Amino acid sequence: MKIKLVLFFLVLLWVGGIFIRFFIPEINGLFYLLPFLEKTYSTVCHQQPAKLISINGHKTLVCARCTGIYLGALLSSAGLLFLKLQNKLNIKLLIFASVPLAGDVLLYSLGIYSYSKTVALVTGLLLGSAGFLYIHEGIMDLLEEKNKKDKN
Amino acid sequence: MKKHLPALVAGFGAGVLQVVPVVKSFSCLIIMPLAGIFALVLYQKSNKIISPISTQKAVVTGLMTGVFAALFGSFFEILITFITKSNDLVYVVNDLYEFIDKFPVEETVKTQVIQLTENVVNSIKTTGFSLLYSFSVVVNNLIINPIFGTIGALIGLKFINSKIQQNS
Repeated sequence: MKIKLVLFFLVLLWVGGIFIRFFIPEINGLFYLLPFLEKTYSTVCHQQPAKLISINGHKTLVCARCTGIYLGALLSSAGLLFLKLQNKLNIKLLIFASVPLAGDVLLYSLGIYSYSKTVALVTGLLLGSAGFLYIHEGIMDLLEEKNKKDKN
Repeated sequence: MKKHLPALVAGFGAGVLQVVPVVKSFSCLIIMPLAGIFALVLYQKSNKIISPISTQKAVVTGLMTGVFAALFGSFFEILITFITKSNDLVYVVNDLYEFIDKFPVEETVKTQVIQLTENVVNSIKTTGFSLLYSFSVVVNNLIINPIFGTIGALIGLKFINSKIQQNS
C-alpha cells in the first residue's frame, strides 16, 4: 500500500506541474518555478501552443494528448489505491489501448480530419491509464524479485 | 562497462535525437521510452537470452539508458548553444517577456523573473554559455530521462518476455 501511495503522489506532483499556470495567480511564488518547469516538460512534449489545453487564458505545459496520458496515469494510480489487479497483465491490453491514439495521430497527420484537443485528450487518457498499469506491475514485480532475493 | 553497452548505444541515440530540432518536436513522450525498449532488445540479442529477463535487469537497463541519454543530450545541447551562441530560449525570449508581462502576478516577482531570464539570455548571446541554463539542462535531463527510460524498459520487458514465452 505504501508504494502505491508514493506512486500516486509522484504522479499527482507531475500532473500538478502540468497545470502550474492555473495555480500561479493564487500562489505567486510558483512563478519562479515556471521557466524551469517549462524546460522540464519540453523534454517530454513538443508544447505547440495550438495544441495546449487552455482554460480561462491559462495553458497547460504539455499538449492535450500528453495531458490525457498523464491524467490517465493519475486515474489509474488513484484506482490502484483501492483495487488490486487479480491477474498478470497481457500485453494485448496495452496494444488495444494504444490503437485509438495511434489511429488519431495517423488520421489527422494524413489530413483526414483536423486536430481535435478532445480526441487527443481522450485517446491519451486511454493509453495513459492502461500504460500505468504496466508500470505499476513492473514495480511490483521488481519488489517481489527483491524480496525473494533477500529471503535467499 | 560491457554490461552497460546496450544502454550506452541506446542512450547515445536518444541523446542525439533529443537535440535534433524536427525530430525533437515529434518526440512527445516517445524517444526515451523507445530508447529504453531498444536497449533491452539489444541486451537480449547481444547476450542471446532465451529465458525471461528479470524486472531488475530491465529497470537497470532503462535507468542507465536514461542516464547516458541525459549526459549525451546535455553535452550536445550545451555544445550547440556554445557554438551557435543561441538556443530555444533565445528564440522565444520576447514571447516569454510578453507572457510574463500579461501574467497576473506581483510586479516584483515579474521583475525578478525577467531579470533572471535576461541574465541567462545575455550570457548565451555573448559567451555562448550560461551556468544556470547548463545546470538546468543537466538536472532536467538527469531527472526526466532515467524515469522515462525505465518506463520504456518496463513496458518493453512485457513484450520481450511474452515473445520469449511464446517461443519456448
